[in-house]
Amino acid sequence: MTSANLILLAEDNPRDAELALAAMEEHHIADRVVVCQDGAEALDFLYCRGVFATRQKGNPTVVFLDLKMPKVDGIEVLRTIKNDVNLKPIPVVMLTSSREERDLAQSYALGANAYVVKPVEFHEFMKAVKELAVFWGVINETPLKGSGPID
Amino acid sequence: MESVTQERPATPAPVQLEPVPDDSPVPAPKTGGRMNWFTHWSIERRVLAGFGLVFTGIVVISAISYRNTSVLIENSRLDSKSHELVQLLDSVGEALDTTERGHRRYLVTGEEPYLKSYRMTVEQMPEYLRYLKDLTSELPEQQSRVTTLEQLIAQQLAAESGAITQREKHGYEAVRHLALSGAAKNELEGIHRLMTELDSAEQRDLQTRVAQSAKSTKNTIALLVLGAFLQFVLLATVYLLIHLDVTERRRVAKELLRRGELLQAANKELEAFSYSVSHDLRAPLRHIDGYAALLSKTAGEALNDKARHYLQTIADSAKRMGQLIDDLLAFSRMGRQDMLYTTVNLDQLVKDVLHDLRLDLQGRTISWTMSPLPNVSGDPAMLRQVFANLISNALKFTATRPEAKIEVGSTTRNPGEVEIFVRDNGAGFDMQYVNKLFGVFQRLHRNDEFEGTGIGLANVRRIIHRHGGRTWAEGALDQGATFYFSLPLTRSLR
Repeated sequence: MTSANLILLAEDNPRDAELALAAMEEHHIADRVVVCQDGAEALDFLYCRGVFATRQKGNPTVVFLDLKMPKVDGIEVLRTIKNDVNLKPIPVVMLTSSREERDLAQSYALGANAYVVKPVEFHEFMKAVKELAVFWGVINETPLKGSGPID
Repeated sequence: MESVTQERPATPAPVQLEPVPDDSPVPAPKTGGRMNWFTHWSIERRVLAGFGLVFTGIVVISAISYRNTSVLIENSRLDSKSHELVQLLDSVGEALDTTERGHRRYLVTGEEPYLKSYRMTVEQMPEYLRYLKDLTSELPEQQSRVTTLEQLIAQQLAAESGAITQREKHGYEAVRHLALSGAAKNELEGIHRLMTELDSAEQRDLQTRVAQSAKSTKNTIALLVLGAFLQFVLLATVYLLIHLDVTERRRVAKELLRRGELLQAANKELEAFSYSVSHDLRAPLRHIDGYAALLSKTAGEALNDKARHYLQTIADSAKRMGQLIDDLLAFSRMGRQDMLYTTVNLDQLVKDVLHDLRLDLQGRTISWTMSPLPNVSGDPAMLRQVFANLISNALKFTATRPEAKIEVGSTTRNPGEVEIFVRDNGAGFDMQYVNKLFGVFQRLHRNDEFEGTGIGLANVRRIIHRHGGRTWAEGALDQGATFYFSLPLTRSLR
């Protein structure tokens, strides 16, 4: 399995992360998910540094970003991705509790590919995460997918 | 449970507003009880009183100054008359003396040219006398002297005329003694005495008037100085009053602005609080619900009925708490949300609400009574919420009836407002709890009887209050309920 098939989930709440994983489990894509607990870790993964220094090179298929995270928040991670010519093609889906107009506008202005508010109801939440993972992680095609790992 | 009957804000402002010191607004002069009436006056009255006093002062000063000036003008008129009189007396005296001298010379010499001044005096005297009378017309005492003077002059001239005739007929010898002593010696002396009297009387009057004028001028100057000082003091007081009032008003305006800012800050904080509640508080609930669901799925087969019931209860409770949080947030938003005023067609609104509730109507036997409703001015979304809450309440509490009867109508008991009611034949309520009906999270039924969080009627009341209306209810246990609300027909902002 190449890193191009990986799904990066940046989510500081371990329970939300676990529930998201449980949802993806049903479509057997949970083992492709890398969970980072803050924005700094997510950036480490993307730039293959820190604990991810030895990981196989290549961009993930999609990044799910929470907005409110310790250290580096989702908006900052999004800005970094979209300002980096190598990372720019990665689809970024904002997955957040915030329905604030300000957050929405800012995310799209920075180039987010989708903005999803976590549904309140658990079943709705499960459904949303599943559909997102399947669409962005499996169905959607990105330029880097299949082009092989970048060294 | 007394407190639930009161209207209270759903979310208390977290910022403590400082109390305004309530002594200070009127800086009362410390003159004790006598000035109490003054300190109780409004600023307008006080300023008006001040200006009234200033105006009165100006009127009084003007009146006195006018009077004094009139006296001065009158005195100066009399003075010039006096001076003329004195001058005239001199001329008359001189004329008479010249006449007398000329006359005596004529008696001695018999030469006609010496009678020139005599003839002139005879000719001019009536004119002089008329003038004298005119100048003394206001002074009876002087007038009587002039009358006497006139007689004496007439006598003198007559005597001289007689002497001239004798001289012409009988020659010098006949008038020798007259030529030596004068033709009318006594008259002439009387004339001179009278003229002196006239003159000194006039001089006396003059002096009196000079003294009077000087006094009047002095008084006027003193009055003007004193008046100016008093006016200055009064105007300064009025200025001070206005200044104090303006300063106070400025302070109040500043205080209001500060409070407005505080309130805005409080509102912002409340907004942040609500945001935090809705997101951070709901996440654990989502987890409880989620993990209960996962557990049920994972271990469902191995669990007995009791354990499954427990899990279901956990999930239900989490959902219910989520619902309560949502309702509370909606209620809080309702109080802060900006209102949109437009004309609302209530008939159409009710139709829309019934359309939304169509799922709840399925399988129910309901007899509707709908009277036409008026158009009102208000926020359509908020008023729709009112009807949705009241009608779904009616549906809910008539669920146990074989045939539900629901009536929507309006009355206009008071001019300027319309009263709208929603009546049902449902479970009703005991009138002794009527005050609790519109409270937040107040319920008169157990949850297993009728579902609900108890926020619906609180929302109704809040919306109607924001429209400037009232809410109330009537009912009896098991005999249905009627919920009323009033809306002003003219727009009134809250």
